[in-house]
Amino acid sequence: MTLDQLKHWLDQAHYIYDETLATVLYVALELGRPLLIEGAAGVGKTEIAKVMAGVLDRELVRLQCYEGLDESKALYEWNYQKQLLAIQINRETVDRDGLTKQLFSDEYLLERPLLRSIRSEKPVVLLIDEIDKADEEFEAFLLELLSEMQVTIPEIGTIKASSIPLVVLTSNRARPLSEALRRRCAYVYIDYPDLEKELAILRAKLPNADDRLRVQVAQAVQKLRGQEAILKKPSIAEALDWTAALEAMGVRELTPKILKTTAGFVLKNNDDIAAAFSGEGGDMP
Amino acid sequence: MTEPYLERLCAFSRILRQEGLDAGPAQTADAARVLLLLGMEDRERVKTAMRTVYSKSREEQLIFDRCFDGFFLPQDVIEAKLRKQREEQVRLEQQSREAEKELQLNGQPMDFSPEQRSAYAAMPPEARQRLQGFLEKYRGTAERNPKLYGDFIHSVFARAIMEQQLLMENAGLGGLAADPEIGILYRDISQFREEEIPKAISIIQSVTRQINGELSARNPGRGEGGKLDFRRTIRRSLETGGSCNRLCWRKKRTRRKRLVLLCDVSGSMVQFSEFALRFIQSLNQVSDSSRTFLFSETMTEADPFSLENMDLFRDYVRRSGIYGRVTDLGSALESLCGKNPPVLCSGVTLIILSDTKSVDLSRAAAALMEAMRHTGRVIWLNPIPQNRWQYIRSVQTMASLCQMIPCSTLQELASACRRISRS
Repeated sequence: MTLDQLKHWLDQAHYIYDETLATVLYVALELGRPLLIEGAAGVGKTEIAKVMAGVLDRELVRLQCYEGLDESKALYEWNYQKQLLAIQINRETVDRDGLTKQLFSDEYLLERPLLRSIRSEKPVVLLIDEIDKADEEFEAFLLELLSEMQVTIPEIGTIKASSIPLVVLTSNRARPLSEALRRRCAYVYIDYPDLEKELAILRAKLPNADDRLRVQVAQAVQKLRGQEAILKKPSIAEALDWTAALEAMGVRELTPKILKTTAGFVLKNNDDIAAAFSGEGGDMP
Repeated sequence: MTEPYLERLCAFSRILRQEGLDAGPAQTADAARVLLLLGMEDRERVKTAMRTVYSKSREEQLIFDRCFDGFFLPQDVIEAKLRKQREEQVRLEQQSREAEKELQLNGQPMDFSPEQRSAYAAMPPEARQRLQGFLEKYRGTAERNPKLYGDFIHSVFARAIMEQQLLMENAGLGGLAADPEIGILYRDISQFREEEIPKAISIIQSVTRQINGELSARNPGRGEGGKLDFRRTIRRSLETGGSCNRLCWRKKRTRRKRLVLLCDVSGSMVQFSEFALRFIQSLNQVSDSSRTFLFSETMTEADPFSLENMDLFRDYVRRSGIYGRVTDLGSALESLCGKNPPVLCSGVTLIILSDTKSVDLSRAAAALMEAMRHTGRVIWLNPIPQNRWQYIRSVQTMASLCQMIPCSTLQELASACRRISRS
């Protein structure tokens, strides 16, 4: 695969990217490194994994991280109920060792996303979403998978990946990730898009919306992001929601009145709405 | 890849290592592989690809960009830089010759170190002219009392040179300030403009979220080191027909700290105190309870509602009548120690937010020692940049008595809060 080929596939998927992102994706793919994507909420970090799954024609396996996530939810778990039933059924059996061996075989193993991704015959895209929400212990647990592409299950042994997945990790920087994890990944930081890219995204995602409205929304969103007083900056997803809502309302032009009535689609707390429309902040397009 | 290219790449990796990036042989090999794949025609593409390999955070990306832009230069830029460097060297040599002539007192060279002499040479011409003006203005005194004249002129020159040295030291710290998002973390808090304050507050919120996140990640309270939770284990075992496959453990109780904050709100300290208080108050994982006292000439306890936002805090400080008065740390600490029921006792961490500038320094030092006797721990958060501490006597005195942490920037304030929370 060449960089131009990757760009061509991204174009075919109608994904709006810049030169930097395309190069980073190419480097991560060629080096076989997990890709760590950081950036504010709503800039399209998760979307990259989804698009890559589509572009590479692979299955997307998603692991959503949260506080308290452990290996029984992420890697594997034994099917205790089924094991107990098997013990009950085979109570009279003489071959106890055979039964024990059978109880800890694939038949009683519940695959979770990580195990599924490395045991899949066809390579997949593994999305480990919001890794910063998981505990530090879980991060340490991921190291073996990320560097060696293998996991160790005490009862079975080490399982090597049948196919190498493309691993995408996303983080909102809620806490700093460990050096060990960072070292194993290719890194990219995604910032809010500029006007041109934002407009291109609106055009690609909402092809039927009025173009004048899309331009006005993109300009308004850029201006809102530029205001220091607004703490929760509007994301791309919110810009899309806003445009879709305005389109559904039959709005053709963003007037100050419309802005005020629909601001809730793009600004998600009262202080930010007040800051946007008070004094100097009120001169939005 | 040919030998010269590899050598150059290895040299670049060494530079990155010196700058603190993780640029080991594995990364260099990856970079070489990527360059072979992508070619070297497009400079920006090469930069992006190598940045992906070498830098692992946004801060590291900025360091990488600086190193890359300085290392991989087009031939004409290198020649222009060399030319400029040679011109600069000639200019500096000329400046230093002029400085040597000017740093003469009664025909004798003044007693300054080579570093001080080069700092003088780097001063703007108008500043040097002002100093020479002093020399001329008081020349009459030289004939009446040569020693007094010599000491006076030397002290004036020494002060001006010290200020120049501080300016030069600060100029070297600007690397990370290039990024508007991160830059605010590395700038002196007292230099924030009014319009930057909301941005700074949002950064504080994000950093405190990070610190709280780190703390909760470190204390998940579900380790297996505690006692067995028998009731939950039995209940869970019902799922598997009564066999206890998975054990449940009692959460370990973590004792949080009791903090007493003593904040200097005299004039220039208000902004720093507000930021520092906001930081500490929002660390909900750190402290169980905290009490805040504000002081300048006298001391008063702050109403918790007044700390909710910057306007309320400033109004409260102005209304309390302590704003803009002289700082008397000794009296504040004495009244804190004398409070009944006692505020300072073992198990309490006293955090002092002050620049150490106080009237009657010896009394303040004695009161600090008394406070340390009452309380478990005293931590001093000082908004004066650490590179200036050596020039200020009050800072040296207080730093010798208790743990002092530099907090001139939001970044330092954040790391100070991490240290408080971890200890």
